[in-house]
Amino acid sequence: MEEELFISGRNIPNIDPSLEVWHWPISLYLFLGGLAAGLLFFAAVFYLLGKDKKYPAAVKVSSVIPPIALSIGLLALVYDLTHKLYTWQLYTTIRIESPMSWGAWVLLIVTPISFLWTFSYYREVYPKLENKLQVFKRLKFLNSFEKFIIKNRKYLAYALIPLTLILGIYTGILLSAFNARPLWNNAILGPLFLTSGLSTAAATIILLSKKKKEKHFFGKIDLALIIIELALIAHMIMGYFAGPEVQVEAMQLLIGGEFTVMFFVFVIILGLIIPAILELIEIYGYKTPVAIAALLVLLGGLVFRFVMVEAGQITRYLY
Amino acid sequence: MVIDTLKCVGCSDCVVACQTENDVPIGYCRDWITETVKGTYPSLDLELKSERCNHCENAPCVRCCPTGASHIVEGGIVLVTGDECIGCGACIESCPYDARYQHPDGYVDKCTFCHHRLEKGQLPACVSVCPTKCMYFGDLDNPNSEVSQLLKKRKYKTLAPEAGTKPHVYYLL
Repeated sequence: MEEELFISGRNIPNIDPSLEVWHWPISLYLFLGGLAAGLLFFAAVFYLLGKDKKYPAAVKVSSVIPPIALSIGLLALVYDLTHKLYTWQLYTTIRIESPMSWGAWVLLIVTPISFLWTFSYYREVYPKLENKLQVFKRLKFLNSFEKFIIKNRKYLAYALIPLTLILGIYTGILLSAFNARPLWNNAILGPLFLTSGLSTAAATIILLSKKKKEKHFFGKIDLALIIIELALIAHMIMGYFAGPEVQVEAMQLLIGGEFTVMFFVFVIILGLIIPAILELIEIYGYKTPVAIAALLVLLGGLVFRFVMVEAGQITRYLY
Repeated sequence: MVIDTLKCVGCSDCVVACQTENDVPIGYCRDWITETVKGTYPSLDLELKSERCNHCENAPCVRCCPTGASHIVEGGIVLVTGDECIGCGACIESCPYDARYQHPDGYVDKCTFCHHRLEKGQLPACVSVCPTKCMYFGDLDNPNSEVSQLLKKRKYKTLAPEAGTKPHVYYLL
């Protein structure tokens, strides 16, 4: 038997009895960041493939979401900082070893590009809104600016592909770089979060699309991504159980511990397996409520971020 | 820093001295005492020790800091520059010893080995007040220093060496 206790009355807010320094804004950002990265990735890829007419929701319509998602995500990140007025210090240095430094810089580049991407499709996708607001009539220089952006859209797309991949992986690496939190310290978290981000993006495109063919196509992509994600999760669980004691204990939080229901019911069953079945049935030509499948994927992705962030902080080496 | 667990009585004097010396806000602490009981009655083993930041050689907090506020100064002490810290909490998450906390003013705070006292040639506050003199502070690179000699003669351990951080607080057994 071994029992360890603090006798000096250690009771530091947010650390004892269990660490809780990162709250809901971080989980929310990880979700929104992954979603935005996925949407921009699909937009850039299908634009470069010349499929913007075939898949308008992926390239054009969905373009309105990334800037909003990234803005909310960034606000959430800053909201969770405790020394907010010093946020600019992030941009005084580039620290190769720090995932957060990578993320901060990538976000600084991706966020403006996402706004430019939306702007270049604004008049095409939202002619009614423009008729009401008359932005282009009031600000004349926007016309030439829009022309310039549309002409150079190709370069934006080329830049977006590597940047969004970094952004998508970063949401996982941010957690996996901490070896002090055994549940996070797993290299598979990067690819897993990227896959999950792409999957939620495909689900969003399904929700926004009005073309049957496009829905069908992204249903297939989403199904493939869900299968990859399930395989990665299976690998993650196996990896932990084959690992040292701290990692086995960490995984027991998700399997048998207090996060079991959240993880299995909301993430695995509702977030992955049921949408996969619905999408599979749809591929075989039966009518299924694809919108429900897509919403479930989004919900599962969000809950997954919350589970990983909250459960990961409980796991530790000492005490 | 070397701490003799056989001499420590767990009086918490080091904790109070630290809080007074460094003006640590009420409710927080940079060092603390743990009591570990092992075995089953009647063969029990009690270990008391004063814990704090381990000023690791391979410090994960320094590695993950996005602004460079966490840094290692000459001599191996890990410090935080409050004005460069954004309070993101990454270093708190990265520390296997949970030695850091967010100061109510926003920045992240932790044990400094009383760097301001060392500059004046004084010992850290915790070491200087210990009534059983169970704590030793010195230069581990100097083979003739008291701490080096103790580590040569006595059995010792470090905390959570499996976390791979190469901690610099040693506990004599």
